[in-house]
Amino acid sequence: MDDYDVRSAASILASVKEQEARFEKLTRALEEERRNVSMQLERVNIPSDRSSISNIGNSESFAWQQLVLQEQSPNNLTSKATMQEPHELVEETVTVEEDPGTPTSHVSVVTSDDGTTRRTETKVTKVVKTVTTRTVRQVPLGPDGLPMEGSSPAGSCTDSIDRRYMKNGDRYITPQANSTLTRVYNSYPDSYDNHHDLYRSYTGQDGFADVSDNYGSLSRGVHYRPRYAYVPRDNYRPDESYTLPSRNKYPVAQPQVQPDGTLDLNRSQPERFQPEPYGLEDDHRSLGPDDDGYELDGEPEPDYSTAGRRAPTRTNGRRPRRGYEDPIEAEIIEDRMPYLTGVYNAPLAQPERGSMASLDRLGRRSPSIDSIRKDPRWRDPDLPEVIAMLSHHLDPVKSNAAAYLQHLCYENDKIKKEVRQLKGIPILVGLLDHPKPDVHRRACGALRNISYGKDHDSKVAIKNCDGIPALVRLLRKTNDMEVRELITGTLWNLSSYEPLKIVIINHGLQTLTNEVIIPHSGWENEPNEDSKPRDAEWTTVFKNTSGCLRNVSSDGSDARRRLRECEGLVDALLHALQSAVGKKDMDRKSVENCVCIMRNLSYQVHREVPGADKFREPSTEQQTGTGSAQKKKKDDSGCFGGKKAKGKRNVDTDKNFDTLDLPKRIEPVKGYELLYQPEVVRLYLSLLTESRNFNTLEAAAGALQNLSAGQWTWSNYIRSTVRKEKGLPILVELLRSDSDKVVRAVAIALRNLSVDGRNKDLIGNYAMHDLVSNLTGGQQRPAKNLEEDTIVAILNTIHEIVTDSSSNARSLIQAQGIEKLVAINKSSQSVREMKAAAHVLQTVWSYKELRNPLHKDGWNKSHFQPNVTTLPKGAKTGGKSSGYDDSTLPLIERNQKDGNKWSGEMIPMEQFGPDTYSTLDRREKERKYKTTDISGDAFERQPLRNDTNKRNIDRINRASMNLVDAHDTKPQPVDSWV
Amino acid sequence: MSFVAGQPVTAIVQRIEIRKLRHGDNLILGFSIGGGIDQDPAQNPYSEDKTDKGIYVTRVSEGGPAEVAGLQIGDKIMQVNGWDMTMVTHDQARKRLTKKNEDIVRLLVTRKSLQQALHHSLQ
Repeated sequence: MDDYDVRSAASILASVKEQEARFEKLTRALEEERRNVSMQLERVNIPSDRSSISNIGNSESFAWQQLVLQEQSPNNLTSKATMQEPHELVEETVTVEEDPGTPTSHVSVVTSDDGTTRRTETKVTKVVKTVTTRTVRQVPLGPDGLPMEGSSPAGSCTDSIDRRYMKNGDRYITPQANSTLTRVYNSYPDSYDNHHDLYRSYTGQDGFADVSDNYGSLSRGVHYRPRYAYVPRDNYRPDESYTLPSRNKYPVAQPQVQPDGTLDLNRSQPERFQPEPYGLEDDHRSLGPDDDGYELDGEPEPDYSTAGRRAPTRTNGRRPRRGYEDPIEAEIIEDRMPYLTGVYNAPLAQPERGSMASLDRLGRRSPSIDSIRKDPRWRDPDLPEVIAMLSHHLDPVKSNAAAYLQHLCYENDKIKKEVRQLKGIPILVGLLDHPKPDVHRRACGALRNISYGKDHDSKVAIKNCDGIPALVRLLRKTNDMEVRELITGTLWNLSSYEPLKIVIINHGLQTLTNEVIIPHSGWENEPNEDSKPRDAEWTTVFKNTSGCLRNVSSDGSDARRRLRECEGLVDALLHALQSAVGKKDMDRKSVENCVCIMRNLSYQVHREVPGADKFREPSTEQQTGTGSAQKKKKDDSGCFGGKKAKGKRNVDTDKNFDTLDLPKRIEPVKGYELLYQPEVVRLYLSLLTESRNFNTLEAAAGALQNLSAGQWTWSNYIRSTVRKEKGLPILVELLRSDSDKVVRAVAIALRNLSVDGRNKDLIGNYAMHDLVSNLTGGQQRPAKNLEEDTIVAILNTIHEIVTDSSSNARSLIQAQGIEKLVAINKSSQSVREMKAAAHVLQTVWSYKELRNPLHKDGWNKSHFQPNVTTLPKGAKTGGKSSGYDDSTLPLIERNQKDGNKWSGEMIPMEQFGPDTYSTLDRREKERKYKTTDISGDAFERQPLRNDTNKRNIDRINRASMNLVDAHDTKPQPVDSWV
Repeated sequence: MSFVAGQPVTAIVQRIEIRKLRHGDNLILGFSIGGGIDQDPAQNPYSEDKTDKGIYVTRVSEGGPAEVAGLQIGDKIMQVNGWDMTMVTHDQARKRLTKKNEDIVRLLVTRKSLQQALHHSLQ
């Protein structure tokens, strides 16, 4: 490594200067070449002795002529060219965001005591950036004479010509694999004194013949055979000294499999292919055929060589894609771009060093390998060199280097790590503030690739050099859509790492909202009278940004508070969702993101929003004070049956709910208050009815669940509104969903909804069958294999429904639920399922009026006892591991019931409680908090603890106490605004 | 960087001058601090050395005076207007920063990236 650094450091300046000088020469040469073109044509003389040429040998001159003809009639050419082009040509830059697919998201559902669940999705977004390159073929022999004279520029000309030639002639398939032009230039040998040598055309084509069939990127380098000698032009002899031999050394260039080819297609829009001049060329990876779809179609690749000029190769009249901004003399170079680029890219390239070394170092995607594929003589700059180029004084070099880095980093953790170690990230971040769009765009692209993946170190590295504020700054400054996509994509990537979430909130929340969410959502703060309400624009930028906010919204109560209070955010998200519902366009990722944010923000809303106390249900406090909690805590598991027996309908609870009057509003509601207005119920129900996206369904059900939890006025409204909006059948229907998590969220939502007495009756009547049919046990196994969490959730919901309602218990019996419950209680593999089932059975048994029918069905008391062997009285022992996952447990405040009723149940709860929390806990520990993140962890948990302390429900209370003991040993950090 | 009481500290610092923003009667710096000798240093997410009881910047409000001045989350405040901040209580630090009669505060802060940059340049 060291020597590389030294060398590169030393050679950078020198070589750059040299290159510049060469440049001028080249430019002159190019002019000359142009002049010579005609002459060259005549001169075409093909040396047939070379093996490389053999295939083409005779036809060469012919081919050439053809070419010429074609040039004259560009139309024909075009059409032909178009057909074939897509395959070879250009590599595209496809940036793909995240893989919305799913696979990477970690979902954790955290249920708090009061029944709200918060689902935390950490989405590891995938940003796939494929920087594509145009692959320019090596120079054809046919045109030999041509390229020759002109010297350098000729090289590129040749290429294009070559291509055309091939197409026209149908002689061979265009070789996929050939090196990119750039490559060639990159590898500009230092030793080289004669331009001609460099640019001489290269007969590699024959070699590619075999490869040609497969256009996949795979095929690319693999078969590349170095054997072909350069075609000797008349004028010049190939320099043997160039690493020809080296090819043999690396006979097996590792084909790069581009995973993204297909991926990209799936996702979102690929980035527009940018005509960008530099950088892109470096990429050798060609897109798989799939990719062609995007941008390649119809693109004539050959455009960019000088040849383009002479021969109107550009089909479709499209301009060559790259705008050439030439570092130095843009005007002059225009057409020869590739050249220049090449030169700049590899100021350091020294062929002598051989690519071997770098190959070893950089691993398979190393530039050197790429170069091998292309032209063994030259090598690409190695990583230290590329990073050094980021600081080059010429802007185009910077941007090329950044683009090349982006390419190298594509799904390659090894390179990312090296970039990090070589301190490339701070430099890239620094480039974000660069005034030239090309530079900051490329830097941003590179950062996006670097920030992608599970390796959090890169994300931290970006944060450590203040990349997040820099990205946000750039977002404020730029209007370039692509750059905005890159920025928001990078932020999305960064937001997948817990400790960075709060940083993103601190630096970017309002900016993201103002710059992206609000404008793209179509929401207007003060709508114009004459303007129609706008619909949301589902842009990639919006998707990225909403994804980012979705991730950060899971970062605990502080994050939720910040998001709720962020001006315009909730309003805009709701507007966007309404618009999606209105358009029946509910399956897109952006919608999913928005619903997930809403759900997260609805979590604990009854505790966390300012003034929530005012809405607290008054009855709660007295009924479930701490005093009774204490008392119940002492209760012990013996008393199930007796206490249960006291269970009776509590009729009085119902009465409030049916006749709820929604509060009158004087002013329009805005901001976070929108989260819990009864109006949102219709929105979520529409999503639940229409969406086909499981994540969206789950989130919408989760939002209802969160809103219907808690003991404040608004949750009462929500519960009755769901009923009035005919939401219960919709939810019940979703119990049949194939998706485990949807079933779980719906089950928990039903449980919370059944706090409302009317709801409980309805749910007991209509949902019982579907709930029961999701259970395993008995003879028939359910069609789907639900996870333990889900089963437990369902059992707890059933428990909630049958509690205080013997008619619901009867429904359970009629739905053949007892058989399954007994089976679970007896033989489930899961202790938690067993406990939950036992719990339900005890409740059922407590209804004396049902015992008779139960006896008739062949059940006796022993079936309704907890399975003692597995559920010992003290259960504390098993407690830890058997964690009662609270997802469903204690949920609801018991304010409507009288305390006694619950005492029987208290006992198991006592044990479950803590476990519940420990689950939560465990989850958080799993996050890879490093030392630095410790308090982040604490922050996260703290509010939960506090909540628990306030708990009115006794069982939970106890649980929380344990929790507190475990974690609350330290004083909480103080934080003062100044 | 770790600190031993009574021993001189060597750190690479940056000067940051923040002009307070007047907001009604209040002067706003636009950041929040954590830490202090009366706080549990182990809970400081930003310190490298978990026994460091220094004052750290924990939040910086978007677009606020501190952000404009270049203050960053995680910066360790070494001095405020010349007063040492490495051995003060949380409240002392807060008071030092919020003097009503000072419109400008001058901070010396250090941060990891500064150290790294130096380190880097020495290499």
